[in-house]
Formats: sequence, C-alpha cells, structure tokens
Amino acid sequence: MTLMDARTDKVYKVKEVHGDGNEKRRLLDMGFTPDCKIYVAHVAPFGGTILVGLRGFMVALREDAASLIEIGEAN
Amino acid sequence: MEYTISLAGNPNVGKTSLYNRITHSLEHVGNWHGVTVSEVSKTIMYDHHTVNMVDLPGLYSLTIYSMEEGITRDNVLSGKNDLIVSVCEVNNLSRNLYLTLQLLELNVPLVLVINMMDELKKQGKVLNYRKLESFLKIPIIPMSAKYHSDVHLLMDVSIDYIQHFRGNKVKLTYLDKLPLQDVMSIISANASNAGLQPRWAAIKVLEKDEFVLEKLALNDEQKKALEAFGDWQSKVAQARYEFIDMITEGAVSKPVYDEHREMHEHVTHHVPLETEPASDNETLYDRHKRYHDQYKNSTKLYMQAYSRIDKVVLNKYLALPIFLALMCLIFFVTFGLVGNWLSNLLDFLITKFIYAPVTNGLTSINSPVWIVNLVGEGVILGVLGVLKFLPQVVLLFFFLALMEDSGYISRVAFMTDGLFRKIGLSGRSVFTMLMGFGCSATAVLTARGLEDPTMRKKTVILTPFMSCSARLPVYTVVAGAFFASGKFLVIFGLYILGAAVSLLLAVIFEKWTKKLKSGKLSFIMEMPPYRIPTLERVVQIIFHNAKVFIVKVGTVVFALNVIVWVLSNFSFTQGYTAGGENSILALFSGFIAPVFKPLGFGNWRAVTSLLSGFVAKEVVVSSIESLGGVSVVFTGANASLSALTFLVYTLLYVPCIATFSAEIKEVGIKWALFGLCMQLVVAYVVALLFHSLGLAFMLNPGITVGVAVVVVIALIVTGVLVNRIKNRGQCSCGCGSCSLACAKRDKKQNEKDDKDAGKK
Repeated sequence: MTLMDARTDKVYKVKEVHGDGNEKRRLLDMGFTPDCKIYVAHVAPFGGTILVGLRGFMVALREDAASLIEIGEAN
Repeated sequence: MEYTISLAGNPNVGKTSLYNRITHSLEHVGNWHGVTVSEVSKTIMYDHHTVNMVDLPGLYSLTIYSMEEGITRDNVLSGKNDLIVSVCEVNNLSRNLYLTLQLLELNVPLVLVINMMDELKKQGKVLNYRKLESFLKIPIIPMSAKYHSDVHLLMDVSIDYIQHFRGNKVKLTYLDKLPLQDVMSIISANASNAGLQPRWAAIKVLEKDEFVLEKLALNDEQKKALEAFGDWQSKVAQARYEFIDMITEGAVSKPVYDEHREMHEHVTHHVPLETEPASDNETLYDRHKRYHDQYKNSTKLYMQAYSRIDKVVLNKYLALPIFLALMCLIFFVTFGLVGNWLSNLLDFLITKFIYAPVTNGLTSINSPVWIVNLVGEGVILGVLGVLKFLPQVVLLFFFLALMEDSGYISRVAFMTDGLFRKIGLSGRSVFTMLMGFGCSATAVLTARGLEDPTMRKKTVILTPFMSCSARLPVYTVVAGAFFASGKFLVIFGLYILGAAVSLLLAVIFEKWTKKLKSGKLSFIMEMPPYRIPTLERVVQIIFHNAKVFIVKVGTVVFALNVIVWVLSNFSFTQGYTAGGENSILALFSGFIAPVFKPLGFGNWRAVTSLLSGFVAKEVVVSSIESLGGVSVVFTGANASLSALTFLVYTLLYVPCIATFSAEIKEVGIKWALFGLCMQLVVAYVVALLFHSLGLAFMLNPGITVGVAVVVVIALIVTGVLVNRIKNRGQCSCGCGSCSLACAKRDKKQNEKDDKDAGKK
C-alpha cells in the first residue's frame, strides 16, 4: 500500500521509501522516514497532486512521488 | 575585528526577515518557500566589530536539488564564515533540526535561532529550549523576527561564541550506527585532496551525494569497495531523525490545560504552585507524567498549515471560482474603484498645481517657445502622466504581496498543479507567473526555485507575457481615450489575453518542440500555514513600491522622455519644429513604420513610443503624451481599432531591458535571445490576427462572428476527437482527478497479472 491508496484524514505510518537518486533522497530529507506518522489532508481539485501532513508541516506531492512512499496502518 | 556571519536554514523559516531586522534592509520576504534566490550581504557595525551579514537561500539538506540551494551549499562549504546562524522554525522543529545536524556534522561554528515563537505562544505551547541546548551544546536563541525581536541578544551571543569557539562539543551519537570509519579509510586521501572533511565526506558518500562523489574522484577499486556497503541512504536519514526525535521529545509541549501546564512548570522549572493540589496518593511528578502520557498518546496529528479555510479554498468545485473571483476583485479595486479615483485625484492635482503654474510662469518670463513646450509637454505631461498611476501600481503590488504573505499563493500553486503539469509546467511556475503581474524582471528571478531546467527555461520565457504593472499606464491612457465606458473591460481583456497567450505557448512547446519538453517531474512543495502580515510589513510594502516607482519615473522615464521629445521636435536642418513632421525621430521611426502598416498604427509616433518602450514600458505612454497625445498618434477611420491593436502589441512585445537582462542571467544569452525573438514574432502575429479580425468584424459583424464560432467549435471538436483516439485502449478518463483512480486501477490490474503469473 502506497500513499496513493491512502484515505484522506486517516493517520498512517511510513514503512519505506522506494525509488532512487534525488527523488528518494529529497523525500527522506523532508522527513518521510520509516515509522513517521503521516496523513493525506487533501487531493488537489484537478487531481494528481496530494497534500500530505507529517512532522508538523504540510507538503504537496505529485502522484509519482507519492507512489514511492510505502505506508502501513498506524497502531 | 571583522566577522562574516551567514544565515542558513530551511525555506520559509524567516531568514530574510531576521536579516532585514539585523541589517535594517528591505529585502523581499514572503510566506512561501524560495523567496530568496541569491546570496545577499551587507556589512554592519556592531559593538566595534565589522560584521558582514550574509542571507542565503533556504535549503532542506546539504545535498541539493535546485540551483539556488547550490549557492547556500557552496557558501557553507567555502569556510569563509566565522559563524553560521542556523535559523529554525518552531512549528516543524524536527525537519529544521535535520539541516542543523548536517551543519553540526560539518563542525562549523553554529548558533541556533528558533524563529516564530509568537505562533507557538498563540497555540499555548511552550518550548523547552534549554533541553535542546543541553544536547546540542550550542547557544539557542528563541525569537520571532516578524515582530519585535531581540537581535542584539543574537549578535552579542554570536560574537561572543565566535571569540570563544573551540570546536563543537555535541555528541552526534547516531553517527556511531553508520560505518563511517570503514568508509573514511577508503576515501580519506581523496577527501583531503578535494579539501573536504573526511568524516563529512564519508557521510555524504553514504548518502550518495553526487556533488561530493564527483569532487572525490574515486577510482574504480574504491567505488567497488564502497558498493560492498550496500544502500545506506535511508538509514542515514532515519538515524538523523531518530536522534532528533530523541532530543526534541517533550521540548515542545502540546496544548495542555491549565492544571497540566501548572504541574509541568512546577515539576520541570520549579515554579511554585499557585493552587493547593488536592491531596491524594499520586505525587506531583506522577500526575505530571500522567497528563503528559495522555497528550503524547493522542493520535490526532496537529497541522498548523492545514486549516478549515483550506477545506473551502481547495474544494474540488470551489477552488478555481474562488481564485478567479479573488483576481477579479483585485483587478476591480486596482483599476476601478479605489485606484481610478486616486489616480484621477493625483491627475487633477498635477494639472492644477504643477502644469498650469509652471507653463504660465515660463511664458510670463518670455522663455522661448521650445523651452515652454519641452517643460510643459515633454517633462510635465509625459513624466507626471506616468506618475499619476502611482496609486494603481502600489495597489497592485500590495495585493500581490498580500497573496504572497498570507500563504494563499502556495494554495494556488497546489490546486493548479494538475492543470499546469499537462502543459509541461508545474504549480511552482504559478508563483513566477503571478509575480509577473507585478514586475516581469523580478518575477523572472523567482523561477530559480524550479528544479527542472527545461521547465525553468519555459517559465522564464513565458513570464514576460503576463501583463506587468509597467504596462498598466499604457492601457489606461489609450483605452481611456477611446473606450470611455468600456475601458475596464478592455483592460481586463488584455490581462486575460496575456495569460492565455503564455499558456497557449506552453502547450505548443510541450507538444511540438523536443528541446522544451519537460520530462516526468515530481512536485514537492511545502505548504506554509496562513499568516497575517503585520502592519509594519504592509506599510513597508506600500512605501517600498512607491519609492521604486517614483525613482524609476524620475530617472529612466524622465531621461528618455526628454530625449524623445528633443529628437521628435528638432530636425537636422531646421532646428525646432513644433509638431515634428521633419524631426530626427520622424525620419528614423518613419523608416520602420511601414512594418506596422498592417497592424493599423504604421505612423512614426506610435513606432517611436514602442521603440522607447524597450527601455521601460511606462515610457510608451510618456512618449505618446509628449508626441501630442493619443488623438494625434492614432488617426484615421479605424482609430479605435488601431489603438486596441497597439495595446495588444504593447502587451506582448519585449517587456523591458531589465527583464531581458534578468532572462540572460537565469537561462543564458541563447535562450534569452530566443525569448526576445519569440516575443516580437508572437506580438506581431497576434496583433495582426486581432487587427484583421477587427476589420472583418467592422465590415460585416454577422458573418465574422459566425465564422469565428464555427472555427472555434471545429477546433474543440478536433481536439476532443484527437484526445479520444490517443487515449483509446488506456484508461479513458482525461481529467486529473480520475488519473489517480486510473493509476490505482492499473496498479490493481498489474498486481492481478503478477498473481496470475505467480500461480502459473
């Protein structure tokens, strides 16, 4: 299950970040590290872009970046 | 002593606000990431020391992603700083500390500023910065640079720290989890050759930082040895964040009710209890712990950056209408309601108290006619004719700044990203394009935050088509003369046309030019919380923009206007010739004028004003005024159509020299020249189309409208058909909201296929 399949307003946990190179590292630097709590707050009106909340801030991700983030249920 | 102190930190944490406070500057600030795109520095005197303050663009990590982040990294690595002030924001402390840790890994002298304490206070939270200090072992100064902040404390602490710095004492325990010694043994020789610290280079090698790897110039053997370590990228990031989580745990206490806070203050800071606690078996310490656990375990994630406003503003159906309505409102206030009234008032005052007395005075002391006309027409009418637009220009900048500072502009970028990606741009380009309504030259510079070079090129080339504030006087004067009642509509139409042309060109670039086609792009943009600009800032915006405008009018416009007036009223042979049919400019511009015959304004006056507009667009209108006014420049049967075409051309051709030089700086001379030629061609073609359509409409309105409607419908139908044919076989929905669903469906299909394959 990746961030693409996440329901809005539900808290998940990051499992892993896939991909390689710049893309992956930027996500890691932004704080998408394993065990980090995360949720999708909003899907953009024209789609394709989602607004994700983590570590106290919001970040807009396109679906290609979002699909790199593997998530799981938060307990 | 002389010191260099640099400000570094994540984007949008208030580095420039702090810089402005310390140096008393007026650098551009805004509530979105990537406002500062270049290194800015200023030397100040502080307590008998010469301090060179440097403001740097924001970045998330020392491993960089875009051009402006490279500036910061190079500055930090250069070693020319006596001290780096790491600026953090208290709302997302953990991600901010991530960069601070990287700076500590570098072992540079560091002082930590925790900004935006005012926002924390509003949420009723407290920051236990002593706890952070005890871990990081560097001075920490909480402040709020937006409001009053104690910069003297920061400067005192900083200078004291520089003087007594003996290396950082922080124990970065997470580094023990990484195989740094092994990596260092492989690369240490290369690192010292490249002038990098071995430990830092080793960390960056584990992170696979391309910049460091290139600098180290490892041989194949070393590369192989490194590959044996496997993938450490995510482990490095995770180790850092785990460390941060450890040191920040409880540092920012969550919203607590009074009893909890009182208990906390009592237990942690030894504040005496105001109320006598009810006596039961639980100790005060235990009770505090119970409260604490209760809040720690609450699963709700609190996000300051997403509020109830966003639920409406970013609503699927309401987002775009709200944005357009806001733009219309801004437009209406700037041009209609307030701006127009203020402009007329200024115009009245200028004519009554400056123009009339001065010309009368000059005539009464028997000055030569040409001096009276130079001062009267050339200087006063021309220059002050532009100056009267001061209120409108300031209003426009004020609204743009409001959009920036409130954080709404980031929402616009987010919601339009879906549309913009289809035409090869990203929501981030919207920043630049909206800024283009203010000033093209400064807007072009903001494109630096775009990561993809192709997209940056496109954005830079297309931004000048957005109608900047310098073009506003031209519209108002020309349209005002011909379309008294429809003026508002004409100006509005021109703004829309500018935006439409730039978007259309983006589509054309994306579809038909290989060099300007953007690849697959990720869009990672931080969303700032809504913030209310301070009164101080509002006053600053107004006065700063007023000053810039007045200075521009007083220098560039004034000088050029005198030149244009002199050249257009003197001839080579006869000296002063009022009216100027034989003047120097009439000869020169008259030579080019036939080119514009098909557009309806092929006379030397119109061409002169366009030529002078290359320097600054305001000059177009001041030239028209000093060449005899709108009624002299546009004559003939279709004068109003020619005037309208002239406006279309003014909108689309090269904005000004400043923009062109900014373009050269951002994308290089080759692309800037390409942009220049494209602007000239596009302006000519669109104006020609517009003029011919207008002529046809005047000849026979019915047929023209009919044909136009048919053509438009035909175009739409072919477009839809082509799309249908292209998309056949794939997911059939075209709209972005479905594409998420599409991707999901495709993924499910793939999984199913995989399973099937597995069974076999």
